[in-house]
Amino acid sequence: MVAAAGGWTVWRLWAVIELRRVAAVILLFLGVGVGLHLLMDPLRGAGQPSTAKAMTLGAGLALSVLGLIGGFLIARLPKERIDGVTDHLEDMVRRGAVGMVVSEADADSLGRLGHAINRYLAFVKDQVDQSHMTAKERQIQLKVLEAEKRHVEAVIHAISDGVLVMDAFGDLVLTNAAAERIFGFTFDVSLRKPVEEVIRDEPFLELLREMHETGLVVPHRTVEWVQGSGENAQVWRVILNTVVEGRKRDRVSGVVAVLHDVTKEKEIARMKSDFVSNVSHELKAPLASIKAYVEMLVDGEAADEAEAKEFLGVIAGETDRLGRLIENILNLSRLESGLIPANKTDLAVTEILRDVGDVMTPQAAKKSIRIEADLAPVFFHVHADRDLLYQAVLNVVSNAVKYTPEGGKVSISTYLENGSVVVHVADTGCGIPPEDIDRVFEKFYRSRRSARAVGGTGLGLPLVKHVVETIHGGRVTLESRAGKGSVFRIFLPAVR
Amino acid sequence: MNCKVLVADDDAFITNVVARKLQNAGLEVIVAVDGQEAYERAAAEPPDFLITDLQMPGMSGLELCARLTVELPNPLPTILLTAKGFEIDRSKIGSLPILHVMTKPFSPRELLANVQEALGIGAAR
Repeated sequence: MVAAAGGWTVWRLWAVIELRRVAAVILLFLGVGVGLHLLMDPLRGAGQPSTAKAMTLGAGLALSVLGLIGGFLIARLPKERIDGVTDHLEDMVRRGAVGMVVSEADADSLGRLGHAINRYLAFVKDQVDQSHMTAKERQIQLKVLEAEKRHVEAVIHAISDGVLVMDAFGDLVLTNAAAERIFGFTFDVSLRKPVEEVIRDEPFLELLREMHETGLVVPHRTVEWVQGSGENAQVWRVILNTVVEGRKRDRVSGVVAVLHDVTKEKEIARMKSDFVSNVSHELKAPLASIKAYVEMLVDGEAADEAEAKEFLGVIAGETDRLGRLIENILNLSRLESGLIPANKTDLAVTEILRDVGDVMTPQAAKKSIRIEADLAPVFFHVHADRDLLYQAVLNVVSNAVKYTPEGGKVSISTYLENGSVVVHVADTGCGIPPEDIDRVFEKFYRSRRSARAVGGTGLGLPLVKHVVETIHGGRVTLESRAGKGSVFRIFLPAVR
Repeated sequence: MNCKVLVADDDAFITNVVARKLQNAGLEVIVAVDGQEAYERAAAEPPDFLITDLQMPGMSGLELCARLTVELPNPLPTILLTAKGFEIDRSKIGSLPILHVMTKPFSPRELLANVQEALGIGAAR
């Protein structure tokens, strides 16, 4: 439409110019003709007076000249205007401007033409302005999209799970920092490269290939992948998804793999399983004795009443051991899971040591063991749960008495050291072999010599460690020399 | 026939009850408190039968059985006592002369019957 209107305007401009020229030529010929006629007239009428002839000749000449000038001017007028418009247009092109080319005052047909051109140019200007606005909007949208893309990439990059995206050609198209760490490649260098060049682990590559091949049938899979071996082996849960495209969704265009580290979960599961296994084992030991001795009594295997009594004594003792074991397991389990809330108050450690000493003295006396309590006259205070701390100290002192041979000595003392209140328990017992020192705080671990001792549950020292370190923020140390005895120290933050 | 049975377990109550049951049935019993002691006693004076706990400090029941199988001129028929029956690696037992694996808590009556059957002797009482 615009082009047609433009063509029509140009044709009309040409027609106007040509008509003016034709009119100017006609006027020119008319002027010259009339002039010549008047010029020739005196020559034809010989009878006329000479003054009249001269006037006629002069008028003819003047008219001819006027005709020439008028025709020239008339022919010249539109050309000047058009030249003016042309110059103006060229100037606007040079300046890259869009606007009016003819002033509002020009009301003739050339002026109307100019107005038409003005309106046309205004229309073009509108179009150009709109295009500019659209282009600007597009630029802003593009910037927003680029920012969003960068944001999404940053989010993917920051995910703690490894992310790998492989396209239909087997090239790596997207990955993140976690995946870099897992496979040991560099993001910028590896992008758009075949995955085989980036990842060297064949079982993992096989997973990707298999997913790509069977993706249409099995679009999602979760598998476990073990990286490395032995103690350094890491277990990853790999979630594989295929990207399916095409109208009929019949084309696998990529594979997305997300790797989540489950090494710790596996370790915890293994520890739980070990714990249950150990608990069962520990519970079975006294149960085995109870069952065996009961059966002996039932079968009349006791030679006399004294032996029958001995069997019953074993049954009673092992029943108590079973009860203690269950109680210890439950207590430790409740403590570790936080089910027993610590009720902390400021209390004097000396008082706890005195109570423990009072309880243990009769038991120690049975083995002729002396308990020497060197309790400071100053009461060192700690912020602690009385019952839990009492149980912890009792376990340490009771252990000392249990593993000290008859006639031995157990010393209990307390003092202040570097802002900590120290509970010091030393015995003259059989000591702990060096290989067992680090392990005696493990659940159910009992050293070779303690395994022979009756009544050990393997939970006493783990409970001490948990109460002192986890609940009270202190620490427990152990020094021991086989055959010489052991020294347990409990450090608790002193209240100032 | 005076059959000699070596009983190895780190739990004194268990060795005591097994020894009494076997002695009451007329068997001679040697008691060891761990794998090492059992090995030394068996090497010094080979028994006719071995009853051993699986989990003992130092040398385990399986190690004891394996070492004695190598050391002794004849295979020593063995009954393995364990509180962790499901954790035994059966492939390790394959070549050893282990006749029964009895899970704790066990029946001394059943244990005696197994020993007597293996030694081809009838009930003594």
